[in-house]
Formats: sequence, structure tokens, C-alpha cells
Amino acid sequence: METSTLLGLYRDMWLIRAFEQGLEREFEKGNVPGMLHTGLGQEATQAALAWHLKSTDAFFPDHRCHGINALAQHRHGGNGERIMAELFGKATGVCSGKGGSLHSADPAVGNFGDNAVEGSYMATVLGVALAAKMRGQPNVACAIIGDGTVGRGEFHESLNMAAIWDLPVLYACVNNGYAISMPVGEGHASADIVDMVQGYGFESRQLDGNDIVEAWTVVGEAVEHIRSGAGPYFLEFKTWRWQGIFAGEFRPEAEVKYWKEERDPIMLAGETLAGRGVAPNDLEAVEQEMTGLIEEWIAFALESPEPDPAKATADVYVGWEVDSR
Amino acid sequence: MTAADTATPKRTARTPRKARDRVRKVAFTRALNDALDLAMAKHDEMFVIGEDIAEMGGDFGVTKGLLAKYGPERVRDTPLSEAAIIGTCAGAAMVGMRPVAEIMFADFIAECYDQVVNNVAKMHYMFDGQFKAPLVIRTACGGGFGGGPHHSQSVEGWFLNVPGIVIVAPSNPIDAKGLLLASIDSDDPVLFLEHKALYRSRAEVPPEYYTTPLGQATVAREGSDVTVVAAMRMVPMALEAAEQAAGSGVSVEVVDLRTIRPYDAATVLASVAKTGRAVVANEAPRIGGLGAELSARISEECFADLKGPVVRVDGLDTPIPFSVPLEDVVLPDAADIAAAITTAAQY
Repeated sequence: METSTLLGLYRDMWLIRAFEQGLEREFEKGNVPGMLHTGLGQEATQAALAWHLKSTDAFFPDHRCHGINALAQHRHGGNGERIMAELFGKATGVCSGKGGSLHSADPAVGNFGDNAVEGSYMATVLGVALAAKMRGQPNVACAIIGDGTVGRGEFHESLNMAAIWDLPVLYACVNNGYAISMPVGEGHASADIVDMVQGYGFESRQLDGNDIVEAWTVVGEAVEHIRSGAGPYFLEFKTWRWQGIFAGEFRPEAEVKYWKEERDPIMLAGETLAGRGVAPNDLEAVEQEMTGLIEEWIAFALESPEPDPAKATADVYVGWEVDSR
Repeated sequence: MTAADTATPKRTARTPRKARDRVRKVAFTRALNDALDLAMAKHDEMFVIGEDIAEMGGDFGVTKGLLAKYGPERVRDTPLSEAAIIGTCAGAAMVGMRPVAEIMFADFIAECYDQVVNNVAKMHYMFDGQFKAPLVIRTACGGGFGGGPHHSQSVEGWFLNVPGIVIVAPSNPIDAKGLLLASIDSDDPVLFLEHKALYRSRAEVPPEYYTTPLGQATVAREGSDVTVVAAMRMVPMALEAAEQAAGSGVSVEVVDLRTIRPYDAATVLASVAKTGRAVVANEAPRIGGLGAELSARISEECFADLKGPVVRVDGLDTPIPFSVPLEDVVLPDAADIAAAITTAAQY
């Protein structure tokens, strides 16, 4: 990987981290309604996926994917602040505040929206992929899921149908070790998800989700494989989420310390860049720049108007109006 | 002249009449098949998908012949994966395809309920109009043939409380064709209910392409004393009961809803305002279903016009038993509607 590419990914990872940390702060202040699930600690996985997916591809983000949503919006739409505004429930959000954190979508940048019933879009992704295949388009349809989703029936229905129809689907399974509180090895027949996937007979691979070089390289290979018409690809990113559960931290102290202090993907990328001669000041400048950008987005979200009340009854149907009170 | 020779003219005399009958009277299933064929010819972006729908032509033959005409890409068999079937339709619809799914029996929709309720029905709303879900879910519903608890249910009530879904429920072959073509044209997701007991019913179905508007009820029989509101199989039963009532001097108007959600309240309320008496007939269990909704709406909005309370005809509050005599106990029939008309007419 060229140093300029790695530096670009380092910027992207900082964008995600600054976004999530800024969001956590605003959530605690009460400026962000609903629930908050951050992707802190999983930045390398998201940056690698966002890098290789084009605006003409489709990705279904999971509930920890504010970062990839913001990156796609920033890169392809030039308006990443609209993801922030959506999380604040504001009129300027990508869904005018009607979707929020769990349903932010913008087809113009390839974001097909989260479905907060985890794993539901394991089924939906099939249709996007099938349409691309029927139309002869070299597009990738990507479902980003957590390890918990492996328990859903739709997970298995999807892998089976993608296999028999040879669909252009990229399954990006972010195995962060826990489904809320359930350890992956207790919830599933195998703690290594790829072991369960192999029977479906298409390409699958487990990788270090905190190593941006490996993640970027492997995602690139998988995307090329799919674009060439060679069928689906399953990736399992081994990673770890920084956020505990709603009640606080429940994982062993040594585990938390290990992942935050020794396996931080941004720190690891920074060390690689430093080893290639990038000056500490230049790395520091990236962090400053991204933090500054995110503060602008937060200010935009805070200053944006609330949605027009008429939006509450709009777009239930295409062909009918719904009564107001 | 042999016996065979003398028989020949008789056969030729009979044959055209039979052929003429076959042309004129088309079965419900054939009308649906016609609609799918015409729609596939019209919409390049349409495909049909489901279990055993390709080579086999579906459990009831509704997709028969489509595979030969349109090929396996557009007539797609699936494994037993109802959630993936509807998910596939949803995703394809998001990018502008026009899929039509067959869920073999409506009871099996429980397997894809999440897809319909949380994904398909909400997509246009929660993503602020950026995605549409122009898909049709055809499914065989209803009882009356000894199908038992998992092949006989009327599922409209499962979806009545779900904004965003359109529920279409034809009562005859002519409407079935026109409503299916309109459903495929629609940019909203449609749950298209096909009552199994109607599959063999026949009518003079126009062979050409036509649509029957969604969201519009029709007055299947005009009358002045009692309004019966019904859908699907309850409509022919209501017409039978209306005929009986006419013999007793009671003039019955039958409103066929045709679309159950969003339903045509204006036609229902106008009829009840005229007659002053209402019977609502519904095959599903009484509590929380279509009958409950119609009864409440009529009572609220026609209070001043009503001469007596709304009378409800429903399925009993039970699962559907396998034994046909037991099923007869549970499901309403024309006699139940006739009795309800008599009750309503007493006021």
C-alpha cells in the first residue's frame, strides 16, 4: 500500500472517530434523541469498506455505521453534515429526520439504509444484487452486519440464495466479540463465523479488522472478485467495540485495556505511517483537521431547523394521503 | 350411414357452444394468469418469484406458462425461504424493479412478517421518500376446504394495523385481473389476497389489458333497506343472502370493498347513510379485524343515520380446525349473513 493511500485511510478513520466522539458528547448533552450505538474501535473496518465501495454500489449499514454513512456522504455527496443532522433528527438530515441513527439512507451515495431489526437486510441485499445481475451492471451489494446477526434465519436464507444464484453480494461481518452482552462463542456454533459460512460454498475469509492495511487489501480483493462476476464473498472482520452496553462496561478490564491500548486501529496505522517517515506533526494535523470538520458538522446540525410537522404524515404511501389529526 | 356418422353432426353442433362458453367464462386463476402475462409483457422490470412457481406454475396454477414465455431469470423458483423471497423483492424494488412474489399460502406470511411490516411497508416513509417498494405479494388465503390451521387463515387483520401496506382483496375474476394489473402498476407495496374458494369461480373476463382502481369499493348490488359490506368470498355469499332477503321484501345493497387498506370509506358510509342499516361480513376472527374496523367506523360516522346497531358476521374466535364439519362451525356462510340481514332489518 502506498503511503499516500494509508494516509488517506488514516484521515478517514479519524473522521469516523471524531464523528463518534463528537456525537457521544452531544448525546450526553441531550442533543441527540433516541439511542446511540457507536463504531468506535471499528474504524479500520469501516474505512476499508467505504474506500472500495462506489456510489453506484449499494451498502446496507448496521447500527454502528455512522462512520461509513458519514464517509460515503462526505466522499460522494460532499455533504457529510447531513448524516450528523439526521442523527439530531433535523430537517436537513438525509431523511429529513425521519430515519435517525438507525435508518439513515441516501441512494445517491450508495447508502441503502439500516434496518434496525438486525439482519433484516440480509434478505433485502439479495434483491439489490439480483437487480444488478439481471441488468448486467458490475455493482456490488454489501450487507454490513454484526456477529449477533448470525443467529437470524435471514442470515442463512441469504447466504443460501446468494450461493445458488451466484449474486454479487459482499457480506461484511463485523465480529466485535459480543451481541450486546452475548459473547460470540456462546451465541453461535462457532466463535469464528467463517467456519459456519464455509458450507455455503463461496469465498469467505477472516481478517484482522483493526489492521487497516490488511482490511483495505482484502476488501479490495473481495470487491474485485464480486465485480468480475465471480459471485458472493463473505468477510469476517475480527475487531472489538469500544462502547460497552447501556448499563456500562461489562467486559474484563484486561480485555478492555488490550483492545483500547494495544489494538486501537488508528494508533496502529499511525505507528505504520511513522515508520514510513511521516512526521508526528503531520499525523497530529490530520486529527486536528478531522475534529475541526466534525465540529462544523455538529454546529450545522445544532443550528438546523426541526422538520416541518407536515413531514409526520408525508410519504406513508406513494398513492394516498394519510389523515392528519 | 353408420352410428358414428350420425353422431358427428351432433358433436359439431355441441362443440362450438362449449368453445364459446370457454372463451366467455374464465376462471379466477386464469384471470390472474392473464394479468401476470400482460404485466410481464408491459414491464421489462417485472419478475415473478416464489416456491414452485416456474416449471410447476404454482400450487394453484396461477403462474402456469410464464416460465416458457419469459424464461428462468424473470420466473424464478426459490427454496423455502419466505423472508428471503420478500427481502429479494424489497431490494429489487428499491432499485426500480417491479417484483411479484407468490407466498404459497397466506399463513406462511408469518415467516416474512418482519420483511413486510418493518421493511416493505415503512421503506418509503422512513427513508423520506427516497426509496419506493413497488412490489406485489400474491398469496392464497381463506378457508372452506379442509386445509386445517395452517392453510386456511384470513390474514388481512394481521396487516390492518400497518400503515404503508396496501391490501387488495378481489371477489371475482374480472376484478381479480384488473386489480392485479393495477397492483403491479402501483408504486406502493401491495398484499394481494386470493381467496382459495374463489379460484374456480368463473366470469366473462375481458381478454385485453385493463386496470381496476385500487382503493375503490364497488356496489355489487343496489338496495335500499340494508347495506352489507364484504370482501372476497363474503361477497358472493352476501349476494346469495341478498337474493334470499329480496324474497322476504328486504332490499339489500352489497358493497364489495375490493381494497381493504386503505379502504373506500366514502362508498361504505354513503351506502349506510342511504339504507340506515349495516351488516359487516368478514371471514376472519371477530376481535380486532376488518369487521371491527368497519363496525366502529360506521357507528362513529353514521350514528345519526343508523336505525339500529351494526350487525357483524365473522369467523369464530378460534383457529381453523381441519374437520370440514368443524370448519363449517367456525367460518361464516350465506345463512349467517342472511340471519344478520334479518336482524338488521328489524330496526
